[in-house]
Amino acid sequence: MNKELEHQFVTNLEQHQNIAHKICRIYTNDKDSHNDLFQEITIQLWKAYPKFRGDSKFSTWMYRVALNTAITLYRKKKRSIRTQDYDSVHFKIKSEEYDDEVEQHLKLMYDAIRQLNDIDKALIFLYLEDKNYAEISETLGITEVNARVKMNRVKTKLKNLINP
Amino acid sequence: MDDLDLLKKDWKKQEKNLPHLSYDELYKMIWKRSSSIVKWIFIISIVEFLLGAVLNIFLADDHYWEQMEKYSLTEFIIATYVISYLITFYFIYKFYNNYRSISTTDSASMLMKSILKTRKTVKYYISFILISSGVVFLVSLILMLRNHAVNADPGQANMEFDTKQWAIFIGGTLIALAILLGIIWLIYRVVYGILLRRLHKNYKELKKLEME
Repeated sequence: MNKELEHQFVTNLEQHQNIAHKICRIYTNDKDSHNDLFQEITIQLWKAYPKFRGDSKFSTWMYRVALNTAITLYRKKKRSIRTQDYDSVHFKIKSEEYDDEVEQHLKLMYDAIRQLNDIDKALIFLYLEDKNYAEISETLGITEVNARVKMNRVKTKLKNLINP
Repeated sequence: MDDLDLLKKDWKKQEKNLPHLSYDELYKMIWKRSSSIVKWIFIISIVEFLLGAVLNIFLADDHYWEQMEKYSLTEFIIATYVISYLITFYFIYKFYNNYRSISTTDSASMLMKSILKTRKTVKYYISFILISSGVVFLVSLILMLRNHAVNADPGQANMEFDTKQWAIFIGGTLIALAILLGIIWLIYRVVYGILLRRLHKNYKELKKLEME
């Protein structure tokens, strides 16, 4: 494999690695599985990189490949999800910035996200990332209308989980 | 404020707490594909084992065993099966261990060590296949000849070889053996050679990275 391609890829990846880390936060609950998923995403991105022609932005492409990886890996490892530890690490909220009540509420919401299925998680993730429906439809390979319908459903689902 | 807006605000805030990996760390990560090559070696060894077992079961029908009985080879063949299966299991276990160790290492130097170990295991494995094929071939031939001589009907036309005939016979056998081993060697070169070359390339790149 040529050196130039490698350098290009790693430079891009370093710059945009936040995307992968954030996906890991949504899909995993502890540091080890975070690292596992991050590594898997890196490998899948690298494998797919020769096919990335630059007709979309690197970040757009990365959202797509990384989410696909998270979704397939999540499916494979569904068994391990049962052992999740809600209180542990990941969504640490800076306590100085919120009062207790808000903090509790946020925790409740993150817990609710964990209960969503893999596709719903992807939708919420893209929502949190401030993606518009055109971008969401491109990333997930669904139509814009479909993305809109699905998103509304997930939001309702999430609200019901938070306020049963 | 809406729940989801609150969540979004918090999500943005968290961005600064995300881990950040350096260029080098990421670069090493893409060399992790060594682990998938080793995984393939492991899988191929199992497929090969199963294929061999299935072939054995189908080829070794009653007729085959009758033949073997005739040449008094039954014990020898059974012993060969047992020993070769044991050794093959041992290699499958080694391949599996290599795969485990390579997929759990994080440091480049450990990865390099594992790559070297894997290459060595594969080489030993191929040598085992070649040597055992040769030995089994020769031993069965010798046993067959000996038992044939014992069982031969004395009244039959004289089957004794003179020196020249022996020379031709031995020469022919050796050539046949060489061709057989050559074919086996070639098959293994193709199957494992490609994977080994890729591993070696990864190894060289990792080494370069270590030196820099």
